[in-house]
Amino acid sequence: MKKRILFLLLFSAYMPVFAQNFNFGAITYDDYEFDRNKLDSNANAIVLKEFGTARIDIDDATGRLELIFDYHVKIKIYNKEGFENANVVVPLYKDDSREEIINDLTASTFNYTDGKFVATPMDKKAIFFENRSKYTKLLKFTLPNLKEGSIIEYSYRLKSPNLFNFKTWEFQWKIPKVLSEYLVYIPGIYNYNVSLRGYQKLSDQKVELAKECLRINGANIDCSKITYLMKDIPAFIEEDNMTAPSNFKSAIFFELSDVTNPSGGKTSYTKTWKDVDYELSSDKSFGSQIKRKDIYKDIIPSIIKDAPDDLIKAKAILNFIKKQIKWDNYYGIYCAENIKKSFDNRSGNVADLNLNLIAALSAANLDAEAVILSTRENGTINKLYPVISDFNYVVAKLNIGDKSYLLDATEPLLPFGLLPLRCMNDQGRVINLKKPSYWIDLKASQKTVTNYILNGKLTNEGKIAGTLTTIYQGYAAFAKRKEIKRYTSTDEFVEKLDERLVKIKISDPVISNLDSVENPLTEKYEIEFTMNDGISKNEFYLSPFFINAISKNPFNLNIRTYPVDLGAASDERIIINIELPAKYNLVEKPKNLAIGLPNGGGKYLLQTQLDNNTLSLSQILQFNNAVYQPDEYPFLKEFYSKIIQNQKVEYLLRKGE
Amino acid sequence: MKYKLIIICLFTLINTAFSQDNYDVDLIPGTLKNRANSCIRNEEILVDMRSPENVLLTVKKAITVFNENGEDEARLVLNYDKNTSIKTIKGEVYNAVGKPISKFTQNDFSDVSAADGFSLFIDSRVKHYLPNLNQYPYTIVYNYEIRNKQNLIIPRWIPKPGDDISVEKSSYTFICKPTDEVRIKTVNYAMEPEVSTDEKQKKMVWKTSNILAVKSEPFSPNPKTYRTSIQIAPKQFTYSNHKGSYQNWEELGKWVYDDLIKQRNTLPPATITMVKDLVNDEKTDKEKARKIYQYLQDKTRYISVQIGIGGLQPIAASEVDRLGYGDCKALVNYMQSMLKAVDIESYYCVVEAGSEKISLDPQFADMAQGNHIILCLPLKSDTTWLECTHQQIPFGFLGDFTDDRLVFACTPEGGKMLRTPKLSAQNNLQIRKVNLSLNDDGTALGNMQTVFSGSQYYNHESNIEKSITEQQKALKIWYNLDYIDFKNITYLKDKTDNPKIIEDVKVNIRQYAPVENNKMYLQLNAFNISRNIPEIKVRKLPVYINRGYTDEDTITYSIPENVLTASILPMNKSLESDFGSYESKVTVEDRKIIYHRKIKINDGTYPAEKYSSFAKFMTDVNTADNLKLILNLKK
Repeated sequence: MKKRILFLLLFSAYMPVFAQNFNFGAITYDDYEFDRNKLDSNANAIVLKEFGTARIDIDDATGRLELIFDYHVKIKIYNKEGFENANVVVPLYKDDSREEIINDLTASTFNYTDGKFVATPMDKKAIFFENRSKYTKLLKFTLPNLKEGSIIEYSYRLKSPNLFNFKTWEFQWKIPKVLSEYLVYIPGIYNYNVSLRGYQKLSDQKVELAKECLRINGANIDCSKITYLMKDIPAFIEEDNMTAPSNFKSAIFFELSDVTNPSGGKTSYTKTWKDVDYELSSDKSFGSQIKRKDIYKDIIPSIIKDAPDDLIKAKAILNFIKKQIKWDNYYGIYCAENIKKSFDNRSGNVADLNLNLIAALSAANLDAEAVILSTRENGTINKLYPVISDFNYVVAKLNIGDKSYLLDATEPLLPFGLLPLRCMNDQGRVINLKKPSYWIDLKASQKTVTNYILNGKLTNEGKIAGTLTTIYQGYAAFAKRKEIKRYTSTDEFVEKLDERLVKIKISDPVISNLDSVENPLTEKYEIEFTMNDGISKNEFYLSPFFINAISKNPFNLNIRTYPVDLGAASDERIIINIELPAKYNLVEKPKNLAIGLPNGGGKYLLQTQLDNNTLSLSQILQFNNAVYQPDEYPFLKEFYSKIIQNQKVEYLLRKGE
Repeated sequence: MKYKLIIICLFTLINTAFSQDNYDVDLIPGTLKNRANSCIRNEEILVDMRSPENVLLTVKKAITVFNENGEDEARLVLNYDKNTSIKTIKGEVYNAVGKPISKFTQNDFSDVSAADGFSLFIDSRVKHYLPNLNQYPYTIVYNYEIRNKQNLIIPRWIPKPGDDISVEKSSYTFICKPTDEVRIKTVNYAMEPEVSTDEKQKKMVWKTSNILAVKSEPFSPNPKTYRTSIQIAPKQFTYSNHKGSYQNWEELGKWVYDDLIKQRNTLPPATITMVKDLVNDEKTDKEKARKIYQYLQDKTRYISVQIGIGGLQPIAASEVDRLGYGDCKALVNYMQSMLKAVDIESYYCVVEAGSEKISLDPQFADMAQGNHIILCLPLKSDTTWLECTHQQIPFGFLGDFTDDRLVFACTPEGGKMLRTPKLSAQNNLQIRKVNLSLNDDGTALGNMQTVFSGSQYYNHESNIEKSITEQQKALKIWYNLDYIDFKNITYLKDKTDNPKIIEDVKVNIRQYAPVENNKMYLQLNAFNISRNIPEIKVRKLPVYINRGYTDEDTITYSIPENVLTASILPMNKSLESDFGSYESKVTVEDRKIIYHRKIKINDGTYPAEKYSSFAKFMTDVNTADNLKLILNLKK
């Protein structure tokens, strides 16, 4: 009898809580006639209303706690371009023992015909599940009877065994939203770190107490009932040169911090860096692997036997790891199994390679630490408190005296101390097994540098013949090495280059340091090309910008919303010396230029002159920052525009007496 | 004692089985290493058709990968579904000197859905494996066995699947009963197969060896035309509970019609009445069809669901009627059913779709050809073709997706080969007229109209439905000039028999013709500069131009008062070649400089030795396109 009352009480306590959702199928004329100009005249579809609830409950069958997420959305489709919003994909997590499941999926299309709304419910046959990979299953469905102007509505319940990240809520989509509301019930015994990412602000947030919302082992637990509300959310539009869209899209993320046990004790999940340091140091896929110096005990002496100092030792060890183990293109801060296994199999993920590297460096008595970071496409990391799942990459930090080097064994074509561009993302956390962890800036240790030098002669036939030398450093050298390696041989690379540059003849190629990645890569060719149809005339025009001429503006947009991220600073220099066949006067020439970006963000210098029958040009184009803010965009655009205009101007040469 | 003997015997047997092949890389002849990223050392494909519902495929393949670029050839990818099961897979990896370094089995394979990114659902799956090694060269050897529960499509043989692959040895064996009738399509195989027959089986063997890797050449014909291949089609076949027999397109078409389509074209009575009402006022069949097509485009959308009988049979017309979506088969079948309701005849046609024109082989019928379905209306002296998966395409227009190729029509009387209409160079037009007035500082302001038709109809079609900001962005990519800006963007669609799209925009290009040294620097061809094509010293393959086109640009520049027109000389350029023609003309009228440019490229196949003249033609065009005027200004 008592039980029954309690049940009733609980039931009545639930009722008002879930009443905030809107009714399915209650399509109004206002919905149908919703004027997109109120929000975004460009929209192909608009979310009219979106409502979600997430709570934790006990699964009656298993007795385990699970997350219950109820989702409901109503979307107005304006035109055929908006039809893609009726093809819905919901990714579901699964592994060997647990999986997320979907219940009560309901979906309908509403059309206004003959003065009334006609609903076409979705058939169960239009629902498909696809096992995408080991850990992902996709729920896919599509709505029937879609027309321009239709309203679609769907709702489902998702049950998840994963309480750690609660349930992320994405406020911002590719289409705008009128109203998006998320209601979460977090039991008092659970403590989550909550973070709102993106550029949009919440319209409202409300915290209330929901009494006795969860019952575990006969004890009633109160919940925090939190409502997050956002109105009039603009569509998210991706731009070129940006890091992960997830950095900019507005969404709410959760990460479990601690749980109070029935006994009163606390289980901490993620709390302070001190906890994380301890956990990582003892983790069997992380700290324990770094400690396995024993694997390298016998190998190291032979690798470093001729090395006179620590730096050379370290270089030898990095080269050894690069040759020994191949990266399998997977990221991660944890070893797939253990470093010995990847060493023997000669293949592994990022952690396999770089924890091997740290272990090997330590075995040689060098001071090596691990740096965990988040790659550019993975997004920024939360700095307020540790969110370990934000990190997806690990590299080594080597300290020699007062100098330190960041090392990564995944890319054999990168020089010592230069991390791949994907790692250049704000800051990383240095994990030292013995000392507290700390942040370090992730900045490229080398600029992207390209130098072109052309020394040549202008012939009487109007041809320029000479030697072109190009020197690449940093990421420029890396990119060029990769390009050359795509061919079966350097001969084939040069052959293709010659074919592609139809107006230029190339001969006597010399490519040096292709495999010695510590040195600048040098490409040298004898080249010959026709400038004009002979110089018999008394005066003639000649454009000096024949190497890497700038004719397109890469910053051509009218408005930029998000930062421009170029990854690394760059420096390009061009030096041209052309000997003329006779005495000429330089009548006209492009202006000498010296322009810059605000706050020393970059510069362009151009100088041209005629001196002793030698025409010379010297040009420097520098970008000193990796990231430029949206308000700097107009300056970048103007900067390029000035260069382009100047490069349209030519030399005018007149025969001297 | 006896046991021991047997064990020893077995052991030696196994030993010889593994030791007969030596995968030392040094044993590969130098000629096979030239230009090769990988080399097929030995491939033995055995297809044993034990019965129509039991076809065993046994493959043994050894590939040496020379470098990272050849790695993809080491990847083993096997598709399977309800009709195809993988029985065994195993393999070994050898190092450069031919020493085994590792082994792999089915457990080492990743198993993923064969989802193609655009299908809502696809019920076939893929197993794939790639040895991840960074020590080149290495050799991967694998053996696998697959059971096909159908014999409508028999695994084919293409001994050399890519340009950068060389082949040391490859063979293909087909076994069937002596009574089985099969047809064989042989492409670029000079000899006859070795045939041996006894009362139990008939065996045919094709062999090839020492095929060199070659350089990939631009503008080359479809590789199928110059590579060796063998395709087999049995007369009696079984496919997912369907049985049939065919020896030519006529019989195959009859089967497709009778077994796969006929029973799928029933519509609900209400829909039949609706369709009849819809066309009540129309006089001709063509006008009726146009009305129904409009209805189809309004009602349906394309959703791919690859399920059931290997993606060969359409879902019922009544289902499409209810759901409002379907794949190409379903939508064509639905359209056909609606036409039937008003007694208009139409054909369900199988086509190989894609920008590259690939015809079905009129001499050899089989179901392995074709990847798309379109509808043909054999109206009197006015055959009309319909693409049913696209909601915006004009009635009777196929665009460059299925134009000018042989397709296979499945009619109640049997299959027929038909050719889709050709879009020729004269009809594939892009005609642009621009009026720009130049300010004192060289800023260009004006309007630009471009008419796209024929195969060029789609050049900017995707922009029409986009939002204004997205249209701006796309235009800035197509007309990529510094500080260019667009206003009043409008598109007009002319959906008549010769459909056109007319793009009208206002343009503003800041300092397009900059002023310096008392001169104005003006590049005449602002919007359409032809690119160079690579020069190739030794051309091996014929030159193939898939589709011709004609572009015409007329730009009228109104120039500021201070420009001295007297110094501008009329400059005309005219180029003629087998591949097309080019002309550009500059004239001065009052305060106007008129630039006119026309290029026509002809489609066709030309002998290999003509390539250099094609490259020269394109280089000359590029040079002429880059013509710049340097205008003197009044002091």
